[in-house]
Amino acid sequence: MQFLYSGITSGSIYALVAIGFNIIYNTTGLINFAQGEFVVLGGMLMYTTLTMFGLNIFSAFLITFILMFLVGILFERVFLRYVRLKTEINLITVTIALAIILRGIAMMIWGRDSLAVPSYVEEKTVLLVGGSITSQSLVVIVVCFFTAIVLSTFFKYTKYGKAFRACHDDQVASTICGIDVNLIRMLSFAIASFLGALAGAIVAPITFVTYTDGVMSGLKGFSAAILGGLGSFWGGLFGGFLLGVIEGFFAFILPSGFKDAFAFIILLLILFVKPSGLFGKKKAVRV
Amino acid sequence: MLKVTSLTVRYGSIVALKNVSVHIKKGEFVALIGSNGAGKTTLLNAIYGLVVSEGDVVFKNNNLSKVASHKRIEMGLSLVPEGRRVFPNMTVFENLELGGFKKDKQFINKKIDEVVNLFPVLKERFRQLAGMLSGGEQQMLAIARALISDPELLLMDEPSMGLAPMVIKEVYEKLSILKKNGLTIFLVEQNAMAALKYADRGYVLENGKIVLQGKSNELINDNEIKRAYLGKEYKEKWER
Repeated sequence: MQFLYSGITSGSIYALVAIGFNIIYNTTGLINFAQGEFVVLGGMLMYTTLTMFGLNIFSAFLITFILMFLVGILFERVFLRYVRLKTEINLITVTIALAIILRGIAMMIWGRDSLAVPSYVEEKTVLLVGGSITSQSLVVIVVCFFTAIVLSTFFKYTKYGKAFRACHDDQVASTICGIDVNLIRMLSFAIASFLGALAGAIVAPITFVTYTDGVMSGLKGFSAAILGGLGSFWGGLFGGFLLGVIEGFFAFILPSGFKDAFAFIILLLILFVKPSGLFGKKKAVRV
Repeated sequence: MLKVTSLTVRYGSIVALKNVSVHIKKGEFVALIGSNGAGKTTLLNAIYGLVVSEGDVVFKNNNLSKVASHKRIEMGLSLVPEGRRVFPNMTVFENLELGGFKKDKQFINKKIDEVVNLFPVLKERFRQLAGMLSGGEQQMLAIARALISDPELLLMDEPSMGLAPMVIKEVYEKLSILKKNGLTIFLVEQNAMAALKYADRGYVLENGKIVLQGKSNELINDNEIKRAYLGKEYKEKWER
């Protein structure tokens, strides 16, 4: 059972990253390969505000999230907006370039060492059936579920949430209805950046944060998104958990060196067997 | 109300519209007819700012050239686009709500009540996904959605496309009711006979140019109409 608990913890992180991928994919049709770098920046900023400036937890979170929200906006407004030929392949390449740039900047600012972010809650171990879970992990899981519920409520019931879904369905019709599609695109990057930072911030006390972490969290979040079905909100969430648990299980029975490989074996299997993902649905065909 | 002056639209080196001028007075129901590829949709899209154009589009004495597409709905314009373009993965009710994106909730609910009076079929389908509706129902939904913002001028792109003759008749009868209630309507249509039967006035567009205009009852009996309606190839075949 222990692998299940640790799997759900790392799965929560994959889920948050996967939801970030899906939000951007739904409104722009792009895969944002800098999603993993948002996770790293989230962790790094928490380290900076908490350890270097000695702020309290609340203001540290607030500053990190506001900054990352702005990073997302800048990302879209400055770098993607001014690409001359806006084909999807060009824009995706830009996100890869930005991922590399962000990684370089992170290395220059925070160095090559792993940074330890202090724990947000008192460290305790909770005993559960067949295993145990740390209070840190519980925070991660609770935050992930809470975020998922808040986001799904936002998309389902609020005016701007509906505008996001409308842009996903049909951008021309959205423009006709008076929705500023460019604003929605920008906001989707801001929300994705925020989600990445949230994932990075809550996991930093457990895993520490190194400037190269973004590659793995990005690719695993992407695998989770594909596993659940690209573009599906609940698919991303479930895909994240499933990936985390499967990974934990195989790390349990096989040498842990193979752990990272499993995310990608699952990615390949899904692409071979069911490319639309577990919860993916084909876009409704217009008559 | 709407005055389009020497509008030209280019797609690369192809000229889709050339010096097109159209005017519509308040309360009129005007149809623009033309064959496939004549430039009808391009004209509507240019009026709504969805394609780049040269020339002037003046609506209620405001030049629209500097107004972004998504802001034109606030000026009292509304468009029922080609192919209906309802939001397929959202419910009928949500589709209607989005039609009033710039309005407050109270206003939207009042307008939704009004439009379902006109299109009762939508009320039964409120909770269904719009993508599951039949073509005729989707057309009704697209019109209803365009009405939620309470427009003064309704632009319509081929309401008859892909619909059975019975349904076409139903759609046009709804449009006459709207006209009677004071709405100004400008529609483009390939189905010339259906459009001219209900419209006050008509234009004929051919290869991006207006070739004929006049009262509907005059146009409907015009041989030129049949020629324009059947298209250029037909004309050449006949002349040979």
